[in-house]
Amino acid sequence: MSSSIPTHWDKEVDVIVLGTGGAALTAAVAASESGANVLVLEKTHQIGGTTAFSGGVPWIPLNHYMKEAGFEDNREDAINYIKRLALGRADDHMIETFVDKGHEVIRFLHDHTPVKFVTPKSYPEYYARMDEALKHGTRSLDPAPYDLNEIGEWGPLVRQNPLFPPLTLEEGGAVGGIDFQVVAERMQNNIVTMGRSLIASLFKACLDRGVETLIETAGKELIINEDGQVVGLIAETKVGEVLRIAARKGVVLASGGFEWNKQLVRAFLKAEFTHPVTPPGNEGDALMMAMKAGAALENMSEAWWYPAMVDPTFEYEDNVMAQLGSGRMGPNSIVVNKYGRRFVHEGTTYNDMPRSFFNYDPVKIEFPNEAPVWMIFDQQLKDSQLIVTMTPGDPAPEWVDQADSIRELAEKIGVDPDGLEDEVRKWNEYCEQGVDPDFHRGTIQFEALTNGGGSPANNLGKIEKGPFYALPIYLGALGTNGGPKINENGQVVNFRGEPIKGLYAAGNASGNPLGPIYPSAGGTIGPAMVFGFLAGQHAANS
Amino acid sequence: MMPQGTHTVDVPLDIQTIWNFVHDMNNWAPLVPGYIEHEILSDRRSTWAFKGDLGFMKKTVKLQIDIQEWNEPSEVTFDLKGLSDNFKGGGYFRAEAIDDKTTKMSGHLDITAGGMMGAMVNQILTKFVPQTAEELTEAIVEKLLEINLVK
Ligand SMILES: Cc1cc2nc3c(=O)[nH]c(=O)nc-3n(C[C@H](O)[C@H](O)[C@H](O)COP(=O)(O)OP(=O)(O)OC[C@H]3O[C@@H](n4cnc5c(N)ncnc54)[C@H](O)[C@@H]3O)c2cc1C
Repeated sequence: MSSSIPTHWDKEVDVIVLGTGGAALTAAVAASESGANVLVLEKTHQIGGTTAFSGGVPWIPLNHYMKEAGFEDNREDAINYIKRLALGRADDHMIETFVDKGHEVIRFLHDHTPVKFVTPKSYPEYYARMDEALKHGTRSLDPAPYDLNEIGEWGPLVRQNPLFPPLTLEEGGAVGGIDFQVVAERMQNNIVTMGRSLIASLFKACLDRGVETLIETAGKELIINEDGQVVGLIAETKVGEVLRIAARKGVVLASGGFEWNKQLVRAFLKAEFTHPVTPPGNEGDALMMAMKAGAALENMSEAWWYPAMVDPTFEYEDNVMAQLGSGRMGPNSIVVNKYGRRFVHEGTTYNDMPRSFFNYDPVKIEFPNEAPVWMIFDQQLKDSQLIVTMTPGDPAPEWVDQADSIRELAEKIGVDPDGLEDEVRKWNEYCEQGVDPDFHRGTIQFEALTNGGGSPANNLGKIEKGPFYALPIYLGALGTNGGPKINENGQVVNFRGEPIKGLYAAGNASGNPLGPIYPSAGGTIGPAMVFGFLAGQHAANS
Repeated sequence: MMPQGTHTVDVPLDIQTIWNFVHDMNNWAPLVPGYIEHEILSDRRSTWAFKGDLGFMKKTVKLQIDIQEWNEPSEVTFDLKGLSDNFKGGGYFRAEAIDDKTTKMSGHLDITAGGMMGAMVNQILTKFVPQTAEELTEAIVEKLLEINLVK
């Protein structure tokens, strides 16, 4: 396969978009809306990528749905909040672009496409207790339920979402309190929510604009002319057919991150994560193409981290499926390392909590909190919460270690028994006093997000009623977020900061322009859609 | 809602040949789609593990099967219940002689999930259960033909 300019093109379009996730389809809508003839390529046999698999929530400051719900927001607050979280690791200019353009993108989609959202009123911001945070309401947007039949034969191709039932965020799809009768009815009637709704409605917007999509066709190599401009792409179908496709106006790399490429994971991330929570397919193809084209890179050691748990009886596309897990911040539970010691506030956000796995002990020369670490809990928690897939009242499944004493449990899972016994004793004392001086459980918003925020009542509970249980927590991620550096038009830039003509990137295929932050629910799909839109628009108008 | 399915096939074999095969679980257990293992605990009771393909994901389950009746040569009925998950149900194999060389064979399965997530799981099972009944019956027929016709 050669990437020199071919003498004959198999296809000629204005804009090629790689991927069918949130970034890609938003780019495709924007490009075709601006008059471009657009071709979307998807590597796998299904459309939607991680986005379809996800909550589908974008986080967008100043969006009009907030206003309609009576939630006040302002530009300065939003910018300051992002800056505070980014700790100086994102360009001000990119933050401002996101804040200024994001709500316009959402408004456009609302007015001109079937993509609709609702404001999840009872779903506050993850860091609502920080000074810089929005105190009332939310900037997150919840995709409205959507009828999958609207996209006809493409409906069954929208990637299934095995982790979330078809409920909106507000209805409890992600946080419990689920009405399984509604779930059953929606399944029967093909009504989708969350990521599947976002993808299906974006895809409808593409169909309405005549965008062509080829599945099982992967972008492989960029075709670059002697002026360094990207003018096309070599793609390969599942059966090995090679297509040389001209892109008169540009190629948008929106093919997700590199979490399924072990070599890239080892090369760039702080630790080798073992449990991507995403569907297979994101193998860093965009990153490799961009590196070859001379792109500058950013945010490379980062991912949307997740403390993943596993119910080994579930498999997704031939891999045991990593699950989001739940219960880690509930009372009657702590998380410990191999020494049986707590090492982090267990209820911090999923993006923050695993960062403590990377702590290095320069005396022992080791990473003492290296995953797997262990969630230790008692029968009280088991009886009161959904933990991974265990429902209260059902007997504990075989894959959960349990024992009648803490010591026995520690021995079973290979954790220091003295350490664990001592830690549980200390935890129980803290619960009695109603304060956790070590890690401040019961004090932050996220650990009881939809239940008024962390408090001793919500989050401090003794581990005292046997049997006692242990579940491993692995280093997982909802995708990587390092990649080619982009500018305010979504153009990929080189190390001199100059745009590489004809080359765009968005979503997890690009470096996150907001830096290593996950500001609240929707913190990844928000920028993915906004910079996808800007990329598609700029490419079409170039 | 009770997810269920029956699949019927005309088999070019006599009823006794079919009975000889079907009445002993060890013969057809490995033909259950996604079969992992089974263990005979008594002449009526056995436990099974298999990996069910729900289309968008696969789920490994353990269940117990209790034979209710053997009515030679025409029927085996059984009850089943989940050991790893909350569900129960039953099924049968029925054979009916059409003539002395042809038998109508039916496989039936019903499985209903209980517990908090029951309604949702049953929705998923409405497709899975009839599909499994069909695949299992077809697999048994194929095996019977393989053993008895191709010598
Ligand atoms: C369970 C779960 C819940 C989540 N919930 C949320 C949420 O509510 N809000 C939020 O902001 N984030 C959420 N996330 C994270 C979020 O889903 C991802 O960060 C986001 O969807 C990434 O979007 P994307 O468009 O960049 O990539 P993706 O959606 O992953 O799409 C990339 C697509 O490109 C395809 N592809 C790969 N290589 C090629 C190639 N060479 N050629 C063509 N196509 C290719 C892939 O197959 C895939 O379809 C969640 C993640 C998970 C796993």
